[in-house]
Amino acid sequence: MPCRTIWNASKRPSLPMYKETCEVLENRPVAPGHFLLKLGSKKIGPSAQPGQFVQILCSGASLDPLLPRPFSFLETNPGSFSILYQVVGQGTRLMEKFKKGDKLPLIGPLGHGFTLRQVTSDQRPATRLLVGGGVGIPPLYHLAKTWVKTKAIKKANIHVFLGARNKALLLCERDFLKIGVHLHLATNDGSKGIKGYVTQVLTKFLKSLVASHSSLVCACGPTSMLKAVSLIASEFGVPCETSVEVPMACGFGACLGCAIKVKGDTPGSYRFAIACTEGPVFEGSKVLWD
Amino acid sequence: MGLDLSVQIGKIRLKNPVLVASGTFGHGKEFEPFFDLKKLGGIVTKTITLKPRLGNPPPRIIETPSGMLNAIGLQNPGVEKFIEEKMPYFRKLGIPIIVSAMGYSVGEFVQVIQMLDKAEGIDGYELNLSCPNVPYSSKTEALTLVKMFAHDERMIEEVVSAVRQVTDKTLIAKLGPDVSDVPKMALAAERAGADVVSLINTFIAMVIDVKTRKPVLANKTGGLSGPCIRPIAVRMVWEVAQRVRIPILGMGGIMDAKHALEFLIAGASAVQVGTANFMNPEASLDVLSGIEDFMKKEKISSMKEIIRSVKSK
Repeated sequence: MPCRTIWNASKRPSLPMYKETCEVLENRPVAPGHFLLKLGSKKIGPSAQPGQFVQILCSGASLDPLLPRPFSFLETNPGSFSILYQVVGQGTRLMEKFKKGDKLPLIGPLGHGFTLRQVTSDQRPATRLLVGGGVGIPPLYHLAKTWVKTKAIKKANIHVFLGARNKALLLCERDFLKIGVHLHLATNDGSKGIKGYVTQVLTKFLKSLVASHSSLVCACGPTSMLKAVSLIASEFGVPCETSVEVPMACGFGACLGCAIKVKGDTPGSYRFAIACTEGPVFEGSKVLWD
Repeated sequence: MGLDLSVQIGKIRLKNPVLVASGTFGHGKEFEPFFDLKKLGGIVTKTITLKPRLGNPPPRIIETPSGMLNAIGLQNPGVEKFIEEKMPYFRKLGIPIIVSAMGYSVGEFVQVIQMLDKAEGIDGYELNLSCPNVPYSSKTEALTLVKMFAHDERMIEEVVSAVRQVTDKTLIAKLGPDVSDVPKMALAAERAGADVVSLINTFIAMVIDVKTRKPVLANKTGGLSGPCIRPIAVRMVWEVAQRVRIPILGMGGIMDAKHALEFLIAGASAVQVGTANFMNPEASLDVLSGIEDFMKKEKISSMKEIIRSVKSK
């Protein structure tokens, strides 16, 4: 392929990462086909930032399936962390069988997450709009909780938009309510919130949002949702960060397998960014959504 | 009893026979958080081309039973930036650095090696004659009939001897497995002046999504690697070892020391750990310590007692 732009290495700083054997503390269903896995961890958990991820080798010594699976964090505590996963294939079917006391080889925390602090020169109150769908919701809970805990963003200014097929699949709904942030819901069947897509709720909200706020949209979910959210945000002139999901092998920049097409340095050009190290969180306006 | 794990490949003395394979070890630094890279026998870098390459569009990888397909497409910063930005890190490691290089024609191969030859800290070159994931130009000289260098013994001979004329450093020819007679290709490399042959590169393979009826990879085909190719790779090393005199670097699905020992016994002088780096960043060190354990257990003190020690009965 002809080279249309200059190769550009990630300019983001490298963050600490570890290989750690973690013990399963809990593995329980939380929604149809969805499980919460809590792992003991002294290194990975305490240093994890919202939007970063961990690689879990589901197969252990059997190496079948061969590759580890990436999961974003749901919650981190001193001494442990949890993830929320959906059973979709060979790897997650093995994970479903994990029992308390099982030991798993993990590497993490990996990648670069969401922007945590607001630009200090901006004096307007900071509003955050978190838009999640499916298993894209857990990292947004991690993000909201981090803001609430550190008081970096006022609870009253955190709005969470969740979308799912039906109310049973609105992951983390109660958790969000517990930390006291605003919830805006949409389900395809109308069993909770508005009947339709989360993007419709977001559009309606953005129309009413006052410009005196310094807003940022943070989104995680299916690619079609990310693309739509990114377009809506740019329509309203609001910056948007999207956490992408792409097939991945190593998770730490060795294989260059998890490429994502992004805008290049010159107008009209593009390059392939490596999602595991440069992302998985990218500025929505920089991604060339196909 | 002191263990001597050192081996000779071309002009390079490796303190142990465990290297990491091209394209599976990034630019080295990616593995720094996990282990002390100085412990490795050596590093083979990601393949470098004359000009920067963006690589192939996604999806670039797909998992398969006991393996994976990749079609990265040689994404790399180009030889100039590589020397400027990546070599300083490799240089300070103080272990043998073998730069994997590729050109789209004999002339380009020569040019890349000439540029690398001026840089300090490079111990040898692995000529990537067998990347399955890039288009091979039909416009450049003599390339109209072959898909890749490794598929044609005449082309192997031509490119290796051209490069041989411009460098005195250790020259390793990396061969591909998608040929009917690998020893013939290895002999061509040997004749042309290669110091070492590396085998094997990935197999050209394909996965189709039955719903869309499209190949899963954007590049349509990709290179198959991982434990699923290992028995074939061991057989190829064994076959080549009977025909060539130059040392062999063996690779293909090595996950642990036992696998590495298979290659060494079959005829390899050293091994490269590849895909295993993706699931366990410390895989190469685990392989090394496993070889040491084997030597202690078998009361072997030197690699000489292992390499090419396969018994016929």
